Amino acid sequence: MPVLAEVTQFESLVGVNPWTALFTFCNMIITFLLLKKFLFKPVKKMIDARQKEIDDMYADAEASKKEAAKLQADYEEHLSSARAQRDEILRDAVAAANKRREAIVAEARADAAALRDKAEADIAQEKKKALNEVKNEISSISISIAEEVVEREITEADHLRLVNEFIGKLGEGDD
Amino acid sequence: MEVNGPKIYLQINGMNVITQTTVASFVVMVLLCAAGFFLGRNLKKRPGRMQVLTEKGVSMLYNLVEDTMGKHNSYWTPYIGALFLSSIGGSLIGMTGILRSATSDVSTTITWALMTSFLVWGCTIKNSGLKSFLKGYINPLNIVSDIAQPVSMAFRHFGNIMGGGVLMSILYTGLAGLSSLIVGAVRSNGWVVTGVTALVGAALLLLGFKKKKMVFKIFGAVFAGIAVAAALELLGVFGEVPILEVGIPAVLSLYFDIFSGGIQALVFSLLTMVYVGMACPPKEEKNK
Repeated sequence: MPVLAEVTQFESLVGVNPWTALFTFCNMIITFLLLKKFLFKPVKKMIDARQKEIDDMYADAEASKKEAAKLQADYEEHLSSARAQRDEILRDAVAAANKRREAIVAEARADAAALRDKAEADIAQEKKKALNEVKNEISSISISIAEEVVEREITEADHLRLVNEFIGKLGEGDD
Repeated sequence: MEVNGPKIYLQINGMNVITQTTVASFVVMVLLCAAGFFLGRNLKKRPGRMQVLTEKGVSMLYNLVEDTMGKHNSYWTPYIGALFLSSIGGSLIGMTGILRSATSDVSTTITWALMTSFLVWGCTIKNSGLKSFLKGYINPLNIVSDIAQPVSMAFRHFGNIMGGGVLMSILYTGLAGLSSLIVGAVRSNGWVVTGVTALVGAALLLLGFKKKKMVFKIFGAVFAGIAVAAALELLGVFGEVPILEVGIPAVLSLYFDIFSGGIQALVFSLLTMVYVGMACPPKEEKNK
């Protein structure tokens, strides 16, 4: 028969009460199960999930970094090859230009030489022409003098004068 | 002063069915489960303050278990955690003054210790078979050790908490006597004692601040407090109030109730971890 004990009643200080033990056991089991279900499992799951997310993020970052490094290497390679190509093109262009310049200069020189030759030939022809003209002049003058001589009676003095005149004319013609 | 076991609340046919310990352990269980339920609710990837603390505590427990028992025994954490928290809660519940510490009853600690023992035996049988488990008892000393193990665990925990409680009650009794002595001295000698106490207190405080010694400061404060209390007593404020019971027990209670309770909980769960961990070796060693 249940009896509410007087509050002044105490158990012995050191003693095992099976009922207390049973209750303690049950309480412990209940505490364990509830804490496991409501505290440990969800919190652990959350921590693990976050850890996984962080790990994934780090892995992603690492991959991106590697890819970026690869891209950079590619670019650098491209750049250096482009630079080499440019240098080659430049060198070729300079060589071609030099060749062309030399050709032009040579052509110009040839042209100039041809022109000079032509001019010299012209000059020689003109000279010849001029000399011929002078000869013609002289002969015509001689003829006219001869005509004059024939027309007039020529004195000694006249003769001398005529000769002098002629010589003077010659000198003028020489000028 | 009397030192008693737990109060008996309900007797059926002469059996003490419900005692103070039962109530205390029930209260601890309800508090722990409620706390666990509220802390484990609404967990988010980006935690708030409470969640950070909760996760810190839980991961500390997991780390402790994994360090002591090995990574493969990580699944023991909920049980160890429940044991640890129940032990701490059971010790601290005594500080309410209404309930008695659940752990200062051997019934509680022996139950937990026996649970540990049964777990160890169960794990041994599961991991190495019944035959090798029984073979271990060819040496009769192993029987002794298997009996001694839970008993020593139970009594270590019980003794520490109970002893702390007894010491605290002795202290309270002693302080009550001392304060009534001081009150009597103050009553008969009046202001002389008050003045001397105040002087000593002031001198100690001065010395403490000058030399930066904590001890002098504390005792100076105590003496000064006594002097103030004595003055108040002379002015007729106090009757039979045991003035010394204010303050001094708090320091010792910090040790006997909180520190000792924490240490015993840690020791108890560590021992459980070690014993169970030895019974659950990693898979490679099991195949030997």
